[in-house]
Amino acid sequence: MATLGQFLLLLAFVISAYAAASSVAGARRRNGRLIESGVGALYLVAAVMTVATGVIVHAFVVGDFTIRYVQRYSESAQPLGYKIASYWGGLDGSIMFWVFLLSLFGAAAVRINRERHRELIPYVVATLSTVQMFFLTLMIVHNNPFATYLTESPAAGQGLNPLLQNFYMAIHPPTMYLGFVGMTIPFAFCIAALITGHLDDSWLRAVRRWTMISWFFLSLGLTLGMIWAYEELGWGGFWGWDPVENAGLLPWFTATAFLHSVMVQERRGMLRVWNVTLVITTFFLTLFGTFMTRSGVVQSVHAFGEDRQLALMFTVFMSAVLIFSAAWVIYRLPLLKARNELDSWASKEAAFLANNWVLLFSAVFVLFATMFPTLSEALTGERLTVGPPFFNTWMTPVGLILLMLTGVGPLLAWRSSTLANMRQQFLWPVVSGLAAAALTIGLGIRVWSSGLCFALSGFVVGTIAQEFIRGAAVRQQTTGTDLFTAMVGLVGRNKRRYGGYMVHVGIVLMFMGFAGEGFGRDEQALLKPGQQVQVDRYVLRLDAIRATEDSQKQMVTGHITVFDDRGSEIGKMYPAKWFYRSRPQEPTTEVAIRRSLAEDLYIVMAGFELGEQSASVEVHVNELVNWIWIGFGLMALGTGIALLPERVLALAGARVGAEATAVLLLLSVLLAPAGVLAQTASVGQVASTGAGTLVFRSAEERELANEIMCTCGCRLPAGTCGMMNCEGKASQLAKIKTLVSEGKTREQVIASFVQEFGGQHILARPIDEGYHRLLWLMPYTLAALTAVGLAVIARRWATGRTEASALGTPAAAGDAGLQQRLDDELRDLD
Amino acid sequence: MSSAISTDHGLRPWQLFLLAGMLAATAVVLVSSGRSTSSVVVLSVTVVAASLVAVAAYRSLSPLVSAEDLVPDAPAGGRTRAALEREKALVLRSIKEIEFDHAMRKTAAADFEEMRDRLKVRAVGLLRQLDSTGYRDAVERDLAARAGVVGGVSVPVPRLSSAPGPAETSRDCQVCHTPNAPDARFCKACGEGLAAPICAACHTSNESDARFCKGCGVSLGRPA
Repeated sequence: MATLGQFLLLLAFVISAYAAASSVAGARRRNGRLIESGVGALYLVAAVMTVATGVIVHAFVVGDFTIRYVQRYSESAQPLGYKIASYWGGLDGSIMFWVFLLSLFGAAAVRINRERHRELIPYVVATLSTVQMFFLTLMIVHNNPFATYLTESPAAGQGLNPLLQNFYMAIHPPTMYLGFVGMTIPFAFCIAALITGHLDDSWLRAVRRWTMISWFFLSLGLTLGMIWAYEELGWGGFWGWDPVENAGLLPWFTATAFLHSVMVQERRGMLRVWNVTLVITTFFLTLFGTFMTRSGVVQSVHAFGEDRQLALMFTVFMSAVLIFSAAWVIYRLPLLKARNELDSWASKEAAFLANNWVLLFSAVFVLFATMFPTLSEALTGERLTVGPPFFNTWMTPVGLILLMLTGVGPLLAWRSSTLANMRQQFLWPVVSGLAAAALTIGLGIRVWSSGLCFALSGFVVGTIAQEFIRGAAVRQQTTGTDLFTAMVGLVGRNKRRYGGYMVHVGIVLMFMGFAGEGFGRDEQALLKPGQQVQVDRYVLRLDAIRATEDSQKQMVTGHITVFDDRGSEIGKMYPAKWFYRSRPQEPTTEVAIRRSLAEDLYIVMAGFELGEQSASVEVHVNELVNWIWIGFGLMALGTGIALLPERVLALAGARVGAEATAVLLLLSVLLAPAGVLAQTASVGQVASTGAGTLVFRSAEERELANEIMCTCGCRLPAGTCGMMNCEGKASQLAKIKTLVSEGKTREQVIASFVQEFGGQHILARPIDEGYHRLLWLMPYTLAALTAVGLAVIARRWATGRTEASALGTPAAAGDAGLQQRLDDELRDLD
Repeated sequence: MSSAISTDHGLRPWQLFLLAGMLAATAVVLVSSGRSTSSVVVLSVTVVAASLVAVAAYRSLSPLVSAEDLVPDAPAGGRTRAALEREKALVLRSIKEIEFDHAMRKTAAADFEEMRDRLKVRAVGLLRQLDSTGYRDAVERDLAARAGVVGGVSVPVPRLSSAPGPAETSRDCQVCHTPNAPDARFCKACGEGLAAPICAACHTSNESDARFCKGCGVSLGRPA
C-alpha cells in the first residue's frame, strides 16, 4: 500500500507538470486541444489525490504501522474519528491533505468558471498546477507520508497527541486548510488576468465568491481554534497570540480588506492595483503562515519542530511567487489605472480606504511582532519574547477603530456626503451608541477599553438597524407591502449588502465577548472533600476525587457542587485530568464549564492528591464569552446569505428562512458537544464541613504573572499556563509572590527576573529601552508611514483627470427601442 | 462493452468507467468479507475514486486525439448566452441598487445620475448583444461573455451614438489593415488573428467589436 501511495504522489507530480506545460503551450499557440487536455489533467490530479487519500486513510483505519507516519500519529485504541483526523495530525500528512484539498478546490473552480472566463482558464490551470507541484515536491523529496520503516516496524502506534483528541481540534485544521487553500484560487485567477491582460472587472467577479468562501472557512477555523483553546488548554482564555494563531490571522486581515475594497472597484473603478496586490499578498501570507508553522523558524506551541531544509524550500518558493507576481503587476500597471478619483473624504470610498488601512496595519504589525524574536535573535543573538501583553496593548485600540469604521461606513454615501446627509444619517446611531455608553457606566463597568467597546457596539448596531429599517421603509413605499415582507424582500434582493451587515452584527457580538475579557475574575483554591470556597457569586464545594479508566486512558475527575450565593444548588461540575496510556507524561486538562449568556463558570483542576483527596482548582468567571460563538454563528448566517446565488431572488422569503434554519442547525451540531458539559440545576442546600483555602494574590502579583513567562515550554505567561502540576509555573508564581511580599516594585521584580534568567526572553514583552525600542516604535512609525502613503494616493486621485464626463449618456448608447425595453425590464424587476 | 463507446450512443465513456469502478468496489466488498466495516468502506470508496482517475485520464487524453478542431474561440452556444443573461441581470440589479440608495437619501443627485447612466449604457450594450443572431454574433456574444464586460464600461466611448445596429460589416486587420470578411478569424493577407485586436499603444487585447482600446482609450483604427 505504501508503495502505491508513493507512486500516486509521483504520478500527481508528473500530471501537474503536464497540466501546467500543456495549458501554457495551448494558450500561447492558441491550441484548444492542449488547453482542454490541461484542464483534464487538473481534474486528473484531483482524482489521483483522492485515491492517495483513500490509501492513507485506509492505512490509518486498519492500523498499518509499517508506514512511519501512521505509526507515529495513530494507535489501535483510538476512536475511528480521531484515526481519520490523524491524517492531518502531523507535518507530512498535513501537506498531503493540503494538496488534496487544493486539487479538489482547483478542479471545482476551473469547472465552474471554464465557460465564463475561458481566456483565463489555461493560466489558472497552470498557476494551480505549479502550486500543487511545489507541495508535491516537498512530499516527494522531504516529507513523504508514505515512508516506511526500513527494518522491523513497531507493533503498536504512538497515538495522536492527546491535546488534539478533541472534537474541535479534529475539524479545526481541515477548515483552516480550506481557508488557506481557497486563497490559492483568487491568486490563480489574478495571475491569469495579469498575464492575459484581461484586467477589467470580470476576473474579480470570478474571484469574489471564492474569496468569500475561503474567508468564511478561515473565520470558522480561527473560531474553532478559539473554542478548542478555551476548552482544552485550560487557561480560561481563547487567544494567546501564538505565532501560529497569528499565521492564520494574517491572511484573514488581508482577505477581509480585499472583500471590502473590491466593492470600491466594482462601484467606482478605483483601487485596481490595490486589489490585485491584496489578492497576491493574501496568498503569500497563507504560504508564509504555513512556512512559520512547518519550518520551526518561529518558536510556537503548534510548530512541528525545526527543519532547515523545509525552511529553505519554502523560502525559495515564496521568493519566486513574490518576484513573479510583482513583475507582472508592474508590467501591467498601465492597465490598472484608476478610472475615477477620490472626491471627498466624507465618502464611502474614503471609509473603505481607512478600513483597508487599519486592516493592513494590523497585518503588518502582527507580522512584525511575531517575527521580532526571530529577527532579534538573528541580528543581536538575544532571545526575546513578544507575548500577549504586547499584542493586547496595540491591537485593542486598532480593533476599536475598526469597530467604529464598521458603524461609519454604511452611513456615508459614495463619492461624497453632504453635511445635511450626514446629520440625518448619524443621528440615531450616535444616540444608540450614547445609550449603550450610559448603560455601561450604569452597570458599573470601569474598564475603559471594554466600556468604549460597548459604546461603539451600540453605535454599530444602531447603524445597521437604521439601514434595515429605512431600507424596509423605502421598499414598503415602492412595493406597497407590509413592513415584514418588505424587510425579507430587502435582504433577498441585495443579499451581499444585507448579508454583510449581518456579518457586521456578528463581529459586534464577538467584540462584546472580547470586551468581557476585560473584567473577568479568576481565583485559585485548595480544596478537600466537603470544603468550600466562594468565587464571585458562586460557592464551590468539592465532593470527591475519583479515578476511572477506559481502553485508552485513565481519568481523574473532581466532583464539585456549585451553589449560588444564596445557598441554593446550581449544579454539579466535573473538571478532570486525563492520562493517555500512550503518552502518560502529557495529561490533558478537561475543563468543566457552566455556560450562560452572561458569563461562564470555568473550573480547571490544576492539581490533585488522590491519597489525601485534595485538589487545587482554578476558577474563572468569564464574562460574555459565549457571545463570541453566537457572533460567529451570525457571521456564518450572513456569509451564507451573501453567497446565495442570484437565482434565489424570486423565492427570497422562503429561501432565506430555510438558509437560516440550515445554518442554525449546523451551528447547533457544532456547539452541541460543548453543551454536554453544562449541567442541569437542582435545588439543594450547602452542607459544608469547612472552608477551603483561597490562594490570595494581590493586584500587583496578578499583573506580574502575566508579564513573566512560564518556563515549562508552553510559551505562555506564567499566569495563563494551563499545564498540570507545572513546575515552571509554580516556581515562577512563587518567586513573584516572594518578591512582591518583600515590598519590591514592579520594575524591581522584573529586573530581578531578567537577572536570574540572563535575558529578557523571560518577559512576555521586551522592556521599552535601547534596541528594543525599535519594536515599540514600530507601530507609531508604521501608522505614520501609511498615513503619509495614504495621503499621497488620495492626492494623486484628487488631481487625476476626470473621465466621467466623457461617458456617453444612455440615450446616446442605443436606440430608443432598446432604451424602452431596458426601462420596462427595470420596472418589472423586483 | 467497447463497441458501446465507439458507436457513440448509449453508454458514455465516463459512465463505463464509473460502472467498472462500482463493479470493482463490489468485488472488493465480497473479497474482504472478514475485515472491519470501516476499512471495507474506505477501500471501496478508494476503488470508486480510482475509476474517477480513469474518467479524468480519458478527459485529458481525448482532446489530444479528437477529430474536431478545438479552437479556443469556438462559440459555446447556449452556455454563453446564459452567461450573458446573468451579466445583464447583474447590471440591472446594480441599477436598482443605486436607485434604492438614492431613495434612502444616501447619494447626491449628480452622483446618482452619473453612476446610473454608466450602468444603463452597459445594460443597453448587453441587450443589443442578446438580440443579435447568426454566427458572427454568436462569436461576438461568446467573446463578450468571456470578457465579462462589454461596450459600455470600456471607458471613453464618445462615438457610441453613431452605431445603432449590430456592428460593422468588414474587419480590418490590425497589422496590415487589409479588410477581411466579417466572420474571418485570421487575416487573409498576413495571417494575424482578428478575434482580439491588440492596441498598438499599450498592447492590451480588446473585444472584437471594440473601436477604442479599453486600456488607454486610443483608437483601434476601425471603421465606425
